[in-house]
Amino acid sequence: MNLLLVAKLDRYARAINTITQYVRAGKDLGHNVSVFGEWRSEFSWLPHSLEIGAFDFAVFVIYETDDFPELPHLARLLDDIPRERRVIVDCCGRYNDTVQVEHDSNHFQKLDGHHGWEWIEGLRAVSDNILQPTLRPLRGDVRPFRFHGYDPTAVARSYSSAGEAASAWSGATNGVKPCGVAYLGSNWQRWTQMRRFLEAIEPIRDKLGTIRLAGWGWDQRPDWASELGVSGVDVDTTLLGRLRVETTPGVTFDNAISFMSQAHFSPIFHRPLFNYLCFVTNRTFETFCADTIPLLILPDQLIESIYGPEARLLAPHEDLAWKLDDIMRHPEMYWDVVLKTRRHLAQHHSYRKRFQELVTILES
Amino acid sequence: MKILFVMDRRLNAGSIQAIASYVRAGDKLGHTIALYGTPEPTFSNVRFSTDLGTFDYVVFIIEFGLSWMSGLRMPRILTAVPREHRVVVDADGMYNQVICVDGYDRNHRNERERSRWVAHCDSLTDKILQPTLHPREPKVVGLPFYGYDPESQLGIVHRTRKRFDIVHLAHNWWRWRQVSECLLPAFERIRSQLDGICFVGSWWDTAPAGAQEQHLETAFGTDRERFRQLRIQVKPPVPYTEVIRAMSEGRVNIMTQRPLFRYLKLFTSKYFEIFSADTIPLVLLDPNHAELVYGPAGRELALHEEIGAKLLDVLEHPTIYHELVQEVRHHLAEHHSYQVRVHELVTALRQNGGLN
Repeated sequence: MNLLLVAKLDRYARAINTITQYVRAGKDLGHNVSVFGEWRSEFSWLPHSLEIGAFDFAVFVIYETDDFPELPHLARLLDDIPRERRVIVDCCGRYNDTVQVEHDSNHFQKLDGHHGWEWIEGLRAVSDNILQPTLRPLRGDVRPFRFHGYDPTAVARSYSSAGEAASAWSGATNGVKPCGVAYLGSNWQRWTQMRRFLEAIEPIRDKLGTIRLAGWGWDQRPDWASELGVSGVDVDTTLLGRLRVETTPGVTFDNAISFMSQAHFSPIFHRPLFNYLCFVTNRTFETFCADTIPLLILPDQLIESIYGPEARLLAPHEDLAWKLDDIMRHPEMYWDVVLKTRRHLAQHHSYRKRFQELVTILES
Repeated sequence: MKILFVMDRRLNAGSIQAIASYVRAGDKLGHTIALYGTPEPTFSNVRFSTDLGTFDYVVFIIEFGLSWMSGLRMPRILTAVPREHRVVVDADGMYNQVICVDGYDRNHRNERERSRWVAHCDSLTDKILQPTLHPREPKVVGLPFYGYDPESQLGIVHRTRKRFDIVHLAHNWWRWRQVSECLLPAFERIRSQLDGICFVGSWWDTAPAGAQEQHLETAFGTDRERFRQLRIQVKPPVPYTEVIRAMSEGRVNIMTQRPLFRYLKLFTSKYFEIFSADTIPLVLLDPNHAELVYGPAGRELALHEEIGAKLLDVLEHPTIYHELVQEVRHHLAEHHSYQVRVHELVTALRQNGGLN
């Protein structure tokens, strides 16, 4: 199959890792996958193409309005690829009535100038085949497709046993980790959860070592958020200062796993909207590639369905400080869960499997 | 005919005043004219619609920017409206070769930008209209497009108290050279004989954020000290519904036009809007062009040479100039009303080959 991915590429955000993995998995499975557009040196590993006629399907990967190409390219895509051969992966739940969860929403007219109806009508104008990376779409005309996946070959450090992993993690065989907690992700609609997380670990702060947040918006509330009156990108610098939290700019996707591997713990938060919609992201899976113990601060339903039943042990629920303390006291038990979860992810959520699922959807 | 305009709707800039006038004139002539989008209270006199299938033609009004034609917005229009029923009004003369006037104002920075812009329009339609009587590209059809709405004229009952001798209502977008080299020296010569001067619009005191990154710093020249010395009051832009009232606060209103527009002889809303205000308009245009648009009396209202002397003459002899203004208004009502404009647009669209 010849597959054309239509997406805006960003080394720091969106689906760059997932797209890279699709190109790789597609090739392994005998398919030809390219990204729509002219070749660019900063994405040199990705094949690009403007030869629309050479492809069987176009898959639009949509986060923001500018994920659609500009005219005249957009007009060519619409003219030259029949509607039934266009598919949308709606990565942010735009193709829903407006949903408001805390400060979060799937439609931000203040930011992108588009009403909710425009998102629904606009996406439907491109395709009838709209996929969302969720377990349970809200709309009957959306098909669930998790899109993102797990790459077992990207695991930073493989262990033959939980004991070996625990030993390395504790610093006995692999040097001391420079961080206690590392979180990678922007502060877009995550502050409420981050605040809760930080306040919860405050009682054991001194046991944790460095806490590092990487991504935009952690050092201060952006000016544009204040100007537009947009909440959900808040920050409490007093709290960060009190807990000696380090903030750094984001890291590129190819350094994400090594960044998280610096830490004993890496929490996985999804923004409130995604929790409500039961969406998955690249980080849902990628964190398990890092040499760290992921903390699953996610809805139970999502944890079980993605990570398998064992992974519930990695969910701190209400007693985060106790959980971290317990992990530090019994790392082998938890590493056993991490390793089992990695196997579960490799079996059920590999990019090869995802790609095959996509092919099945396209061919149906 | 049913016509749907599609444009970047801005409350205090662009063609929104024209759209409101097209809607009103269309109603009188039995045409249904609307603007794409959902109703908003701030655009109270504009009909909105998103029902693309019920319109015969979609008319994109494109100015400088293209970003509002987002990839999300366009597929719906492109898939619902056949290409031959789409038309572009190129309001800013962008659909031309690269033009740079006096090494200052330009439509495109370079050929690459021009190609991108033209390709954008070409992907929408084969028919490009420009608000000029003198299009330069063979493919472009000239059409005045903007017009005069006699009903929007402020009558005697609405006479506005004059707070300024001179009002200049426009954004500081490629106007600085004309203002700094023509208007300000004239003001300097006669300032002691003038009462208040007010500039209404954006960016007269500072350039917008991002101007430098977009290589547009020369479009936003400012000199706050000179404004201070000349006691020029700067007021923020007003919504389109308040433009005529704001102009009417001045005994005299001066219309400037960016050099590119003067060069291309592009019409704008302001050409006509200023004659709806309760003021004496003076237009910084070539007298021949002023006469062509406004009729013989328009020549007398052109600010060409001896600007300072002309301003003083107008302020000292308002009755004479009010009579000239009335003559122009009669001329505009006859030749440039929005009812005339609707007829012209309908004709141009029918020549497009869609409806007969």
